[in-house]
Amino acid sequence: MSAGRDMLRREAEAAADEVARHPATLQVCRYIARSRTLRSVIGDFDIGIPVEDLRRHAAEALRRNEFMAYTVSLPDHFDTDELCFVPQDGWCDILSIRTNGWHRHHGDHRRGLNEILSDLAAAVACAKLRILSVEELAIECSRGLALVDLAVGDAATLSQARGAVDTVLRENGLTKSARAAFVLCISEAASNMLLHGGGGGSVTLRRLEDRLRAVVADRGPGLNFMNWMEPPAADGQASMGYGLKIILDNLDTVGLHTGESGTTLLLDRMTT
Amino acid sequence: MLQTTTSPGPAPTVYLSGELDLDCADGLRAAAFAAARGAQAVVVDFAGVQFIDSSGTGIFVRLCLDLRSQGVPVTARSLPPQVRGVFDMLRVRELVGDEVFAGS
Repeated sequence: MSAGRDMLRREAEAAADEVARHPATLQVCRYIARSRTLRSVIGDFDIGIPVEDLRRHAAEALRRNEFMAYTVSLPDHFDTDELCFVPQDGWCDILSIRTNGWHRHHGDHRRGLNEILSDLAAAVACAKLRILSVEELAIECSRGLALVDLAVGDAATLSQARGAVDTVLRENGLTKSARAAFVLCISEAASNMLLHGGGGGSVTLRRLEDRLRAVVADRGPGLNFMNWMEPPAADGQASMGYGLKIILDNLDTVGLHTGESGTTLLLDRMTT
Repeated sequence: MLQTTTSPGPAPTVYLSGELDLDCADGLRAAAFAAARGAQAVVVDFAGVQFIDSSGTGIFVRLCLDLRSQGVPVTARSLPPQVRGVFDMLRVRELVGDEVFAGS
């Protein structure tokens, strides 16, 4: 009996260690149709599924031109993962979503982690959110003309950035409500950067031929999607989990790159 | 930057002005908890709020839930359109209950 209890305790401790080692993650890899190759775009894409199976499903998603999602139960993980195949133009993004058993407890007013990650996958599926490789990010961040370029390191400089962006948006003919929505989205991205992205970064507003683009970039450790669950510091605050939803609901397209050298969001509002 | 002023009474009113963002937790909570001491209820007036985001909203939601658990209900009033819009986006009524907005 005692040995049985010990075994259960050891299993519970092993499960807790598993969460600590593998926080909830989004990993993305890209299947290139022409070369039949896979390359990691976000994270180290090693989810325990044979590469040939990934290739086969990606090729099928491309052939059918349909978003495909699977729930995957792996023997060495204690929770199921979601695997999404999102066909694009000549390639297929493969998203691995892992929540590692975390579930919102009763009475928690924040958004569920699985809801956040599902929103993200759905946004990629409907082409609202584009996952960018390092090369694509470099190209996209240099397009157009910089109108505002500010370092943001605390709440005061974020407030200044909101004011500066609002002024330029007004000069570019945006209505009051359009400005409010755009500034809100920039603030959500920059707040996330301050709370979880290494404490600071930059907000740049650029004018392209057909759109206004805010680039919010940090040099933090990359998104891990668990920082909304626990405050990043003892005196910090957990996120409510709605920032990304606000951004996706209020903008035309969004670009995301995240990795060990930082996270960048491109927030686009079409002007034509 | 958030500024607060409080009018005393059995149901004191905390007037907010400025911005409710990630930096407002200490100011908002200190003012509301001070007002709640010995009070039957607390009114939070948003008329002077120029900006709110999900961080500020989360801090207000947490405040409502914490004060209610101490037996002091919070009501919100005079919501400017930007605040109302963000509260609607984040379904704040569902999180804190319609009664918080009974007087708005």
